[in-house]
Amino acid sequence: MPESPMMIGRVTRCSTRGFVGAMQISENALPVFGSLCQAEAQGGRSYVVGLVYDISITDDQFARQLAGLDEVPQEQIADGQLNRQVPVEFSALAVGFHDDDGFHQSLPPQPPLTLASVFSMVPKDGIDFTSELHFLQMILNAPQLPVDELLATTLRLSAQARPEEERERFLLQAGREVARLLAQDLTRLENILRGLRAKE
Amino acid sequence: MSDSSELNAYFGPKRDERPLGIVLDGSLSTGLQVKLDPRYAIEKLAVGRYIVIQSRKTGSTFFGIITDIALGATTPDLLHHPPDAADTFLLDVYSGGVAYATLHVSPMLMLDEEDDQPRPIKTIPSHFSAIYEATAQDVARVFGEEDDEHFYIGTPLDMEDVQVNLDLARFVERSSGVFGKTGTGKSFITRTILAGIIRSGLASTLIFDMHNDYGWSVMDESGREYKGLRQLFPDGRVSVITLDEATSRARGSKFDGILTIGYEEIEPEDIELLASLLGLSDIQTGALYFLYRRLGKKWISKLLDEQYEEEVQNILESGRIVGGTLGAIQRKLESFIPRMGFLVPGEGSKVVTDIFQRLNIGTSVVLEFGNYGNTLAAYVLVANYLTRRIHASYVHQKNLAAGKKGEEPRPLVIVIEEAHKFLDPSVAGHTIFGNIARELRKYNVTLLIVDQRPSGIEDEVMSQIGTRVTCLLDNEADIRAVFSGVSGASALREVLARLDTRQQALILGHAVPMPVVVRTRDYDQRFYAAIGIGEPIDSAGSKQSGADKLFPD
Ligand SMILES: Nc1ncnc2c1ncn2[C@@H]1O[C@H](COP(=O)(O)OP(=O)(O)OP(=O)(O)O)[C@@H](O)[C@H]1O
Ligand SMILES: [Mg+2]
Repeated sequence: MPESPMMIGRVTRCSTRGFVGAMQISENALPVFGSLCQAEAQGGRSYVVGLVYDISITDDQFARQLAGLDEVPQEQIADGQLNRQVPVEFSALAVGFHDDDGFHQSLPPQPPLTLASVFSMVPKDGIDFTSELHFLQMILNAPQLPVDELLATTLRLSAQARPEEERERFLLQAGREVARLLAQDLTRLENILRGLRAKE
Repeated sequence: MSDSSELNAYFGPKRDERPLGIVLDGSLSTGLQVKLDPRYAIEKLAVGRYIVIQSRKTGSTFFGIITDIALGATTPDLLHHPPDAADTFLLDVYSGGVAYATLHVSPMLMLDEEDDQPRPIKTIPSHFSAIYEATAQDVARVFGEEDDEHFYIGTPLDMEDVQVNLDLARFVERSSGVFGKTGTGKSFITRTILAGIIRSGLASTLIFDMHNDYGWSVMDESGREYKGLRQLFPDGRVSVITLDEATSRARGSKFDGILTIGYEEIEPEDIELLASLLGLSDIQTGALYFLYRRLGKKWISKLLDEQYEEEVQNILESGRIVGGTLGAIQRKLESFIPRMGFLVPGEGSKVVTDIFQRLNIGTSVVLEFGNYGNTLAAYVLVANYLTRRIHASYVHQKNLAAGKKGEEPRPLVIVIEEAHKFLDPSVAGHTIFGNIARELRKYNVTLLIVDQRPSGIEDEVMSQIGTRVTCLLDNEADIRAVFSGVSGASALREVLARLDTRQQALILGHAVPMPVVVRTRDYDQRFYAAIGIGEPIDSAGSKQSGADKLFPD
C-alpha cells in the first residue's frame, strides 16, 4: 500500500455499495467532498476505494445547549467542534477496489468490516486509479446522490492531482467520457463540463 | 530474425498502427459507414482516396474507396443546442465524441489470406473492422505490373509512384467509352490509350478523327505541339488517310492515302443517319429508299443533276412520292453533297477494301477530316459509310473463319467522337454503331466512343460499354448515364463530380480491377520515349518497316 496514507477514520456501517466512516475531527484530516479514500477489507488483502459524497455532523445534547446561549466563549466553541461526543460522519460510494493485481473499477467482492481503518488516497494512487474512467458510470448510476456535482468535483480534483502539463489532456479525455455517457442529455452534460473547468 | 527492411520489402511497410476508423454499418449494395477516429482530422481525407479494411474476424483484406465524408452527432439535440463557439473546451470535448465524422466507403475488392490476386467482393467486412488508408504498396498490388497487355495510363491521386495499368485485352474485348466535358482531356487520354493498344498489337484501330487530334501533330490552345500517332509509330503501324488533302498538306501532315467516296457508292442507309442533320422528315427519309430502287446506283447524280430532270420527274407519276417531298429531298441533298469535296461523282476511290486490308494486317488507320470535321453531317456520313462496309467485311471474314475457309479477322476498335450523334435513342436501334455496341465482340469489332454528352447515348448501348473512362462531368443526366448499368457505382458520383477540370479521370469497368481516379499520364517526351519513339530499332528487325527490309544498308 501507499507510502504513508493518512488515516481519516473508521468504518461504522457498510455494504458492498459503500460505507460510512466516523472520526474525531482534526481539521486537516477532514475528508473533502469528491475525494477518494480507501477502506481495508478482506483482512487487509484488499482495499475498497470509496468516493466521499457526504460529510455530516449531527448534533449532540451539549452542542444544542451551547447553541441556545446568547454568547458562547471561544474555548467552548473550539472544544465543541473538536472534542465531540458524536463523531463526524462521512459517506463514501464504493467505486472500485485494490488487490494484488492493482486497482479495479467495479464493486468490491466484500465490504470492509466495522471499524476497519479508512485512509485518504495519496495522489499517486489517485492518479493511478483515475487513469481509467469506467467508475464514472458507477457514479452516474448511484441513486439519490448529487451525482453531477460529485462527478465534476472528483474529476476536477483528479486533474489537480496531476502535473500541470497533463491536466488539460486529462480533462479533455474525462470530458469525452462523460459526454459519451450523457450524450442524450445535453443540458446536464454541459453543466457537468462547465463544472470540470470551474475554479481553475 | 531478418532485418526489418527485408520484411518491409516482402510485406510492405508496417501499417500505421492506428486505424482511420471502424466499420459501423452498411451493406454490399450501398457501401459501408465508417466512424472516423477523432484523432484524425477529417480535412485531411478526401473523396476518392483508397482504403484498406482489415476484417476483424477472418484476416481478409478489403480494398475500397472513400465515396463520401459526412458529419454526424449522437444526438439530434446538438443541432438545436450547439455549444458556444467560444468555449473551446466544450468544442474539443464534443468533437470526435458526441459530434463525429463518418466516411462512406465502397468496398471493391477482397483478398483472402491465401489468395494472391484480389477478387471482386461478394461480401463485406464484419462490424468494427478497422480501416486504414491504403499504402502505395496496397494500391500497386491491386493494379499490377505494366506488361505487354497492361498499359500504364496514369497514377492514382496522391500516389505518384503507383501505376494504374489498363488491361488492354479486356479494354478492346468490349466497347468502351471516354467521357467528359469539353476541354477535360478526352482526346489526350484517348490518344494515350490508342498508343497503348497499337503498341500492344492486340487490335487494329480505325479512328474517325474529327478534329485532327490523332494522326499528325496536334496543337493545344497555347500553341504547344504534341505528336500524333503516326509520329509515335513511324514504322508503318499507323496510316493516315485524309478526306481533306489541302488542309492536311497545309498542316504539314504526312498521309498515306486520300479518301473519296463516289456518289454511286452511297446508299440510302448512309444518308438516313443524317436525316436530322439535313432536316429530312420521316417521309422524306423513307422516300430515299424508294428513289434508290427506282433510280439505281446513280441515284445521287440523277437527283442532283438537271440533265436527269425528266427521268426524275417521271417517278412522280407512280404516285408513290409527291412533288413536294421530291423537291425537298433534292434541295437538301443539293445543299450538302456538292459542298463535300471528298464526295465525287462516279465510283470514287474504292477505299474500303484498302482500309480493310490495312486493318486486317494490324495497321491502324486514322481518318483525318481536315476542315470537314466542322461539318457534323460529313463526319456522320463518312463514319457511318465506312463502318457499315468495314463491319460487313469483318462479318464476312469471320464467317469464312468459322467455316475454316479463312483466317480470323484482326480485332478492331473503331473510334468515334460525338458518339451520341450515332447512338442517340432515335437512331441507335437501327444503326451500325448500335449493332456493334450490342453484338459485343461477336465479329471482333468493338467501339471506343468519345463523347461529352453521354446522356445522349441510348441506355442499352451505354450499358454495354465495358470500360468507362470519365473526365469531369457536371451535368446530372450525364453523370447518371455514365454510371448506368454499373452496380454499386452510384456512390462514385461524388468522386466524379469532384475531378479536376483537366487530366483527371475516373476509370471503371472491365479493364480495371476496381474503379480508380487517375491523374492521366503526361503526354510529353517521356511518354513518347516510353512508347518507343527514339528507341533504337533493334537489329533483329522485328520493328523494321518493309522499306527498310527491302533496302538494307
Ligand atoms: N495527358 C495530358 N498531357 C498533357 N496535356 C494534357 C493532357 N490531358 C489534357 N491536357 C491538356 O488539356 C487540353 C484539353 O485536352 P483535350 O483536347 O484532350 O480535351 P477534350 O476533352 O478532348 O476537349 P474537346 O471536347 O474540346 O475535344 C489539351 O489541349 C492539353 O493542353
Ligand atoms: Mg477532343
